[in-house]
Amino acid sequence: MNSWNSLWKWGGVALLAYVILRGFSTPLQPGFVQASPSRLAPGIATIALDAIGQPFATATDAHEAFTLILRSGEGLIQTELTGLTPHRVEAKVAIPATLPSPALDAFLFTPEAGTLFLGNAFFVEDAANGSLPAEVVAAPPAEQEPQLGFSFPFQPNILESVRNLLWHVPMWFAMFFVMGIGFVASLAQLRTGKVNWDHRAEAAVRTGLVFGLLGLATGSLWARWTWGAWWVSDPQLNGALVTVLLYSGYMVLRAAMVEDERAGRIAAVYNVFAFVMLVILLMVLPRYTESLHPGKDGNPGFNSYDLDNSLRAVFYPAVIGWGALCYWMYTLRLRMNRLEHHLLTR
Amino acid sequence: MNGGFQSPLRTALAVTRMEWRLEWRQGHQLAAVGLFAIASVYVAFQAADGQTASGAWTAMLWLVYLFSGFTAVGRLFDRERSATRRYLQWTVDPLGLILGKLVHAVLTTTALTALVLGAFVLFLGWPDGLDAAGHPGLLVLGAWLGGLSMTTTLVFVTAVASQVKSGGGALGAVLGLPLLLPQLILATRLTRGALDGTPFAMLGETPLFLAALSAGTSVIACILFPYIWRA
Repeated sequence: MNSWNSLWKWGGVALLAYVILRGFSTPLQPGFVQASPSRLAPGIATIALDAIGQPFATATDAHEAFTLILRSGEGLIQTELTGLTPHRVEAKVAIPATLPSPALDAFLFTPEAGTLFLGNAFFVEDAANGSLPAEVVAAPPAEQEPQLGFSFPFQPNILESVRNLLWHVPMWFAMFFVMGIGFVASLAQLRTGKVNWDHRAEAAVRTGLVFGLLGLATGSLWARWTWGAWWVSDPQLNGALVTVLLYSGYMVLRAAMVEDERAGRIAAVYNVFAFVMLVILLMVLPRYTESLHPGKDGNPGFNSYDLDNSLRAVFYPAVIGWGALCYWMYTLRLRMNRLEHHLLTR
Repeated sequence: MNGGFQSPLRTALAVTRMEWRLEWRQGHQLAAVGLFAIASVYVAFQAADGQTASGAWTAMLWLVYLFSGFTAVGRLFDRERSATRRYLQWTVDPLGLILGKLVHAVLTTTALTALVLGAFVLFLGWPDGLDAAGHPGLLVLGAWLGGLSMTTTLVFVTAVASQVKSGGGALGAVLGLPLLLPQLILATRLTRGALDGTPFAMLGETPLFLAALSAGTSVIACILFPYIWRA
């Protein structure tokens, strides 16, 4: 029993250490972030595309192994590669006078790094609307299975910030977890009236509040990076803020009362109410209203991040690790509450 | 739990009747709400100076409504004398009592909606560029539903806050304001859409959510209230 007691704590800490190391050292899969020049005109043009993440080529690679294709509407335009570096590809392209669409998407087929894509990479000015002339049309090569090793998926706009998935999401999970403990403890307290349950509820809410605040902070950072603002008006964010305010109300309520059996009962009633509101605000309402937050149709969590196997291998340990740390903090607070109670009632 | 009491519904009716009688006898309570609502609408009217976009109109409407609601419902559990309260504690079924208070909140909301909306239209008129609300029925329904979800939540919060001797009115506000945010967000969206004549399809299920929130908070209040009433 005793060995298990320290085992899960050290296990959780080890998992978190693994998550932090792996989360920050794993490279991103290559993806285009910028095209230049962004505006083109019909005629011969020199274009370049810049990528981040793992290198998609080496300086010695043969140009023939790579194919860069521009897509206009349904039509594909061929290009001739002129330069290739690990994070940049340069090409010459003959832009025809008639195009199905002035917005061009770029595809780079690579032998080992899969296919890199940039939507609306170029815009062609002064091109007539029409079909492509036959001499510029390209045939797409067969797509190669990427061989990139352990790497995180490239997502437009999210880019390197995908690593925040290992902090932000598990922190909210951990908050739900301890708030759930608090809810059950409060129910048990209302049934039995035992002060022990009250200690549990208070410790759980206090710990959950810390993780809720951390979840808000990491979410705010992520919003600044991907949406451009520290805070936006959004059902999911409103719900998160109200939840944290609600549980701050619990702490205010406790602080306003002299600690006794009656105070415990009132706090328990408020806590049950708060948890029901938490479930409604964070798990029910966001699913029925439009939200910027990922997973608005269905699960307001991380579905749309295309959690692939590499992310899963770090994300699941992160959930368990943060959960274990949170539970550990909860047990410490619980012991403090019991000691305080013991000293006061001695 | 129900031993010796009459049925909760009869108690609820009796409590509602008692609350109304209290309202009329302690006239200052009613007068305070009316005075607060009219005076703040008048301030809004003076500040707006004849120019209000529908966003500002909605914002002012709900600010006035919110604080009138606090004034009307905020003392719901504090106004009996302590002897009366002790008498009620030992003679009245808590479920019936909270039901009665909730019914009273519904009636209060109805009166408040008429008062605040009426005062807004009378003093401020309609927002710029509007001769009337796009959906007048929806405006009234939205204001009533928003107010209902607000007052039902407040009934529960003030019930909790009234149990804390040192807290009093301030504690009710501290606990109540964050709880009312989601209701107010839904309600402002609905009333603004009703003013601008937004197509019904774009307003979605907002009225349903408001109704569901009111029903949900009422049910939770009924379940939990017996635990604090004789704490």
